Amino acid sequence: MQNDLRRKMVEMKNVSKYFGMLKALDDVSLDVYEGEKVVIIGPSGSGKSTLLRSVNKLEEINSGSIIVDGLEINDPKTNINKVREEVGMVFQQFNVFPHKTVLENLTLAQVVVRKRPKKEAEQVAMDLLAKVGITDKAHVYPTKLSGGQQQRVAIARALAMQPKLMLFDEPTSALDPEMIGEVLDVMVKLAREGMTMIVVTHEMGFAREVADRVIFMDFGRILEEGSPEHFFKAPTNERAQQFMRQIL
Amino acid sequence: MAEIKKQKKDQQEGPKKVSIDVGDGAAIPSKEDVGLFTAWRVAFFGAIACIVYLAVFKPDPYVEILKFLPDGIFVTFKVTVLSILFALVIGLFTGLGRISKNKLINGTASLYVEVIRGIPLLVQLFYIYYALSKFVHVPDMASAVIAMAVCYGAYMGEIFRAGIQSIPKGQAEAARSLGMTPTQSMYHVILPQAVKTILPPVGNEFVALLKDSSLVSILAVADLLRRGREYASESFNYFEAYTVIALVYLIITLFLSKLISIMEEKIRAE
Repeated sequence: MQNDLRRKMVEMKNVSKYFGMLKALDDVSLDVYEGEKVVIIGPSGSGKSTLLRSVNKLEEINSGSIIVDGLEINDPKTNINKVREEVGMVFQQFNVFPHKTVLENLTLAQVVVRKRPKKEAEQVAMDLLAKVGITDKAHVYPTKLSGGQQQRVAIARALAMQPKLMLFDEPTSALDPEMIGEVLDVMVKLAREGMTMIVVTHEMGFAREVADRVIFMDFGRILEEGSPEHFFKAPTNERAQQFMRQIL
Repeated sequence: MAEIKKQKKDQQEGPKKVSIDVGDGAAIPSKEDVGLFTAWRVAFFGAIACIVYLAVFKPDPYVEILKFLPDGIFVTFKVTVLSILFALVIGLFTGLGRISKNKLINGTASLYVEVIRGIPLLVQLFYIYYALSKFVHVPDMASAVIAMAVCYGAYMGEIFRAGIQSIPKGQAEAARSLGMTPTQSMYHVILPQAVKTILPPVGNEFVALLKDSSLVSILAVADLLRRGREYASESFNYFEAYTVIALVYLIITLFLSKLISIMEEKIRAE
């Protein structure tokens, strides 16, 4: 397989995670290669968000191993903050910092974590704001922005750290329909630039446009994986067929 | 998974509980209360009018008493401000301790809060000034400030804890996802947002502490109440002295309450 020649960015092996009695992840294994775009779909409660959040250890797993960019993140010797510097995350609820201006949202971690001089951080920030199309809002507080704009700020904020991997946790689910497009456009642009991306979403149009692989999850397990076309035409798993019928 | 948990939580919460909020300061005037004769106006300007009236029409002994008091007011403010500053520092660390996942730190902070809240302030004052003098002599002013700060630090800790916990979890998750340490996340993201929630109750504590500071007059601290007592025991004008003391405390606490409510309005408007 040609895949085997590429570098693995994420390597999950036999990962399980419980919430009390509930098995959120059930012996999941998944490799994501450098530059690959993986879209995870599945009904709510299927474990897809938990899977994504365990990649940067926002959820701690109960067993298995997760290697991100060559580091076993559940090894106590691994500095998780160093790993997270390289892994950008975008949330469903945006989670922009409301007490900071848009520009400060983008510069904060650059200065505090990456120790960049303020001038340089601001330059990086302004370039990214241009990229996501909200340069004119640099000095505005995020509460004054629409949901779509806030999410674009959140994406730019993650990119300001120059991550090697980006995680998206249902980035458009909390948006009004007319704002979904502007966020997806930014994500497509990012995908075209070669960013490694893992995206939890129901936007099959986005999946078809950029995904190398689509993964269908339910009951905490990966039930099927394949190309976007495969899922549009004929998923073999019955649950996957059902799910595709519902969202299309 | 997150979706499921959230739904369950919503269901469990059911109808909103009515919370009865009884502050221990003077009633804070609300903005809707716009009438000229609000309780606050009547009390505040009434108290001032009383003092002016008494001073003008009965200069003896009221002017004498008023001359006696400024030193005491200064000491009362000194005790209050010093105590609140130390209480804020203690409260910050207690609040952080109370949300710590480290069992030892959490346990220590919780124990401190429980013990201190269970002992009357007056007893704590006696304990530090008189009981501990068996081992170490703490000067009166220091005793007063230590006792007040330790006592109010426990209450302040609960305010900090509630303020920090009022910030949505996603904020810390976003900060941590950017590679910030827990300390950086707390300092740059959580605390600056929590301050808005924390400031108004801290203001109320300030007013409450100012009133409670009258307790230090039983130590040899010459605060407002003690100065009044000194005057009264020399002149035997108990009624006159304590009337003025009460009015002065009332004017100060009403004035501060008003300042706090203005501050609260400003924060809410932002």
